[in-house]
Amino acid sequence: MKLGIVIGKTWATRKVKELEGCQLFILQPITSNGNIDGTPIVAADPENIAASGDVVVYVTSTDASQAFKSGYAPVNASIVQRVESIE
Amino acid sequence: MYLARVIKRVVSVVKHDAYYGKKVYVIKPILPNGEEINTEHVAVDYVGAGIGDIVVCGGAPGVAQTVFGLERAPIRTLIIAIVDKINYIEM
Repeated sequence: MKLGIVIGKTWATRKVKELEGCQLFILQPITSNGNIDGTPIVAADPENIAASGDVVVYVTSTDASQAFKSGYAPVNASIVQRVESIE
Repeated sequence: MYLARVIKRVVSVVKHDAYYGKKVYVIKPILPNGEEINTEHVAVDYVGAGIGDIVVCGGAPGVAQTVFGLERAPIRTLIIAIVDKINYIEM
Protein backbone atom coordinates (compact mmCIF):
# COMPACT_ATOMS: atom_id res chain seq x y z
CA MET A 1 0.00 0.00 0.00
CA LYS A 2 1.09 3.57 -0.59
CA LEU A 3 0.01 7.14 -0.01
CA GLY A 4 -1.42 9.20 -2.82
CA ILE A 5 -3.20 12.47 -3.43
CA VAL A 6 -6.27 12.68 -5.67
CA ILE A 7 -5.38 15.09 -8.46
CA GLY A 8 -8.14 14.31 -10.94
CA LYS A 9 -11.04 12.21 -12.00
CA THR A 10 -11.99 10.29 -15.11
CA TRP A 11 -15.45 9.94 -16.60
CA ALA A 12 -16.30 6.83 -18.56
CA THR A 13 -19.73 5.86 -19.79
CA ARG A 14 -18.82 2.44 -21.05
CA LYS A 15 -16.90 0.38 -18.61
CA VAL A 16 -16.59 -3.15 -17.30
CA LYS A 17 -19.71 -4.31 -15.43
CA GLU A 18 -17.82 -4.66 -12.13
CA LEU A 19 -16.78 -1.01 -12.29
CA GLU A 20 -20.28 0.41 -12.59
CA GLY A 21 -20.99 2.96 -9.86
CA CYS A 22 -17.31 3.13 -9.07
CA GLN A 23 -15.33 6.29 -9.70
CA LEU A 24 -11.91 6.24 -11.28
CA PHE A 25 -9.54 8.83 -9.84
CA ILE A 26 -6.15 10.01 -10.97
CA LEU A 27 -3.72 9.61 -8.08
CA GLN A 28 -0.28 11.10 -7.63
CA PRO A 29 1.75 8.83 -5.32
CA ILE A 30 3.36 10.90 -2.54
CA THR A 31 5.56 10.38 0.49
CA SER A 32 4.38 11.23 4.01
CA ASN A 33 6.16 14.61 3.69
CA GLY A 34 4.10 15.49 0.62
CA ASN A 35 6.87 14.96 -1.92
CA ILE A 36 6.01 13.43 -5.29
CA ASP A 37 6.92 9.72 -5.52
CA GLY A 38 6.58 8.45 -9.08
CA THR A 39 4.17 9.00 -11.93
CA PRO A 40 0.36 9.44 -11.58
CA ILE A 41 -1.84 6.36 -11.76
CA VAL A 42 -5.56 5.65 -12.12
CA ALA A 43 -7.21 4.06 -9.08
CA ALA A 44 -10.73 2.76 -8.54
CA ASP A 45 -12.75 3.88 -5.51
CA PRO A 46 -15.23 1.05 -4.84
CA GLU A 47 -16.38 2.33 -1.42
CA ASN A 48 -16.76 5.98 -2.56
CA ILE A 49 -14.23 7.14 0.00
CA ALA A 50 -12.25 9.82 -1.80
CA ALA A 51 -12.88 13.25 -3.27
CA SER A 52 -10.69 15.63 -5.21
CA GLY A 53 -7.66 16.83 -3.25
CA ASP A 54 -7.81 14.12 -0.58
CA VAL A 55 -4.77 12.24 0.64
CA VAL A 56 -5.58 8.53 0.47
CA VAL A 57 -4.09 5.10 1.00
CA TYR A 58 -4.31 2.85 -2.03
CA VAL A 59 -3.61 -0.83 -2.48
CA THR A 60 -2.13 -2.33 -5.64
CA SER A 61 -1.97 -5.64 -7.51
CA THR A 62 -4.18 -8.67 -6.70
CA ASP A 63 -5.43 -7.22 -3.43
CA ALA A 64 -6.94 -4.24 -5.25
CA SER A 65 -9.76 -6.45 -6.53
CA GLN A 66 -10.50 -7.51 -2.94
CA ALA A 67 -11.76 -3.98 -2.26
CA PHE A 68 -14.81 -4.76 -4.42
CA LYS A 69 -17.90 -6.43 -2.96
CA SER A 70 -17.76 -9.13 -5.63
CA GLY A 71 -14.14 -9.85 -4.70
CA TYR A 72 -13.31 -9.68 -8.36
CA ALA A 73 -12.76 -6.69 -10.62
CA PRO A 74 -10.19 -6.01 -13.32
CA VAL A 75 -8.30 -3.29 -11.45
CA ASN A 76 -4.68 -2.68 -10.48
CA ALA A 77 -5.20 -0.04 -7.78
CA SER A 78 -8.01 0.64 -5.31
CA ILE A 79 -8.49 3.43 -2.77
CA VAL A 80 -9.07 1.96 0.71
CA GLN A 81 -8.63 4.83 3.22
CA ARG A 82 -9.00 8.58 3.33
CA VAL A 83 -6.19 9.98 5.47
CA GLU A 84 -7.12 12.50 8.19
CA SER A 85 -3.61 13.06 9.43
CA ILE A 86 -0.15 11.50 9.49
CA GLU A 87 1.59 11.67 12.86
CA MET B 1 9.69 -9.73 2.68
CA TYR B 2 11.88 -6.79 3.50
CA LEU B 3 13.26 -4.80 6.38
CA ALA B 4 11.74 -1.42 7.14
CA ARG B 5 11.57 1.27 9.78
CA VAL B 6 8.21 2.47 11.08
CA ILE B 7 8.23 6.25 10.69
CA LYS B 8 4.68 7.59 11.00
CA ARG B 9 1.13 6.58 11.79
CA VAL B 10 -1.77 7.11 9.42
CA VAL B 11 -4.98 8.36 11.03
CA SER B 12 -8.14 7.87 9.04
CA VAL B 13 -11.90 7.95 9.65
CA VAL B 14 -13.41 6.93 6.32
CA LYS B 15 -12.00 3.60 5.22
CA HIS B 16 -12.74 0.20 3.78
CA ASP B 17 -14.50 -2.12 6.27
CA ALA B 18 -11.50 -4.44 6.42
CA TYR B 19 -9.38 -1.64 7.96
CA TYR B 20 -11.56 -0.99 11.04
CA GLY B 21 -9.71 -1.53 14.31
CA LYS B 22 -6.32 -1.89 12.64
CA LYS B 23 -3.28 0.30 13.01
CA VAL B 24 -1.81 1.61 9.77
CA TYR B 25 1.76 2.89 9.58
CA VAL B 26 4.01 4.58 7.05
CA ILE B 27 7.17 2.48 6.74
CA LYS B 28 10.47 3.21 5.04
CA PRO B 29 12.35 0.20 3.64
CA ILE B 30 15.94 -0.06 4.87
CA LEU B 31 19.07 -2.04 4.08
CA PRO B 32 20.50 -4.40 6.74
CA ASN B 33 23.00 -1.67 7.75
CA GLY B 34 20.18 0.73 8.54
CA GLU B 35 20.49 2.86 5.41
CA GLU B 36 17.09 4.04 4.21
CA ILE B 37 15.79 3.40 0.71
CA ASN B 38 14.20 6.40 -0.96
CA THR B 39 10.58 5.22 -1.00
CA GLU B 40 7.72 4.81 1.43
CA HIS B 41 5.06 2.17 1.88
CA VAL B 42 1.94 1.89 4.00
CA ALA B 43 1.46 -1.26 6.07
CA VAL B 44 -1.13 -2.72 8.43
CA ASP B 45 0.22 -3.76 11.81
CA TYR B 46 -0.20 -7.41 12.80
CA VAL B 47 2.30 -7.74 15.67
CA GLY B 48 2.01 -4.54 17.73
CA ALA B 49 4.84 -2.48 16.31
CA GLY B 50 5.44 1.17 17.25
CA ILE B 51 7.00 4.20 15.64
CA GLY B 52 10.79 3.87 15.36
CA ASP B 53 10.81 0.05 15.35
CA ILE B 54 12.68 -1.93 12.72
CA VAL B 55 10.25 -4.48 11.33
CA VAL B 56 9.85 -7.16 8.69
CA CYS B 57 7.10 -6.37 6.17
CA GLY B 58 5.53 -8.54 3.56
CA GLY B 59 2.51 -10.59 2.69
CA ALA B 60 1.15 -12.47 -0.27
CA PRO B 61 -2.17 -11.92 -2.05
CA GLY B 62 -4.97 -13.41 0.02
CA VAL B 63 -2.98 -13.72 3.22
CA ALA B 64 -4.72 -10.82 4.97
CA GLN B 65 -8.08 -12.57 4.62
CA THR B 66 -6.68 -15.61 6.44
CA VAL B 67 -4.87 -13.87 9.28
CA PHE B 68 -7.64 -11.39 10.05
CA GLY B 69 -10.44 -13.86 9.35
CA LEU B 70 -12.17 -11.63 6.81
CA GLU B 71 -14.04 -12.54 3.69
CA ARG B 72 -12.52 -9.71 1.67
CA ALA B 73 -9.42 -7.79 2.70
CA PRO B 74 -7.73 -5.35 0.31
CA ILE B 75 -4.54 -5.38 2.38
CA ARG B 76 -1.24 -5.94 0.62
CA THR B 77 1.50 -5.13 3.12
CA LEU B 78 1.55 -6.44 6.68
CA ILE B 79 4.03 -5.79 9.46
CA ILE B 80 4.81 -9.39 10.35
CA ALA B 81 7.76 -9.20 12.77
CA ILE B 82 9.58 -6.77 15.05
CA VAL B 83 13.34 -7.11 14.65
CA ASP B 84 15.48 -7.32 17.78
CA LYS B 85 18.84 -7.96 16.16
CA ILE B 86 20.31 -8.32 12.67
CA ASN B 87 23.41 -10.35 11.89
CA TYR B 88 24.73 -10.20 8.37
CA ILE B 89 27.89 -10.42 6.29
CA GLU B 90 28.60 -7.36 4.17
CA MET B 91 29.18 -8.43 0.56
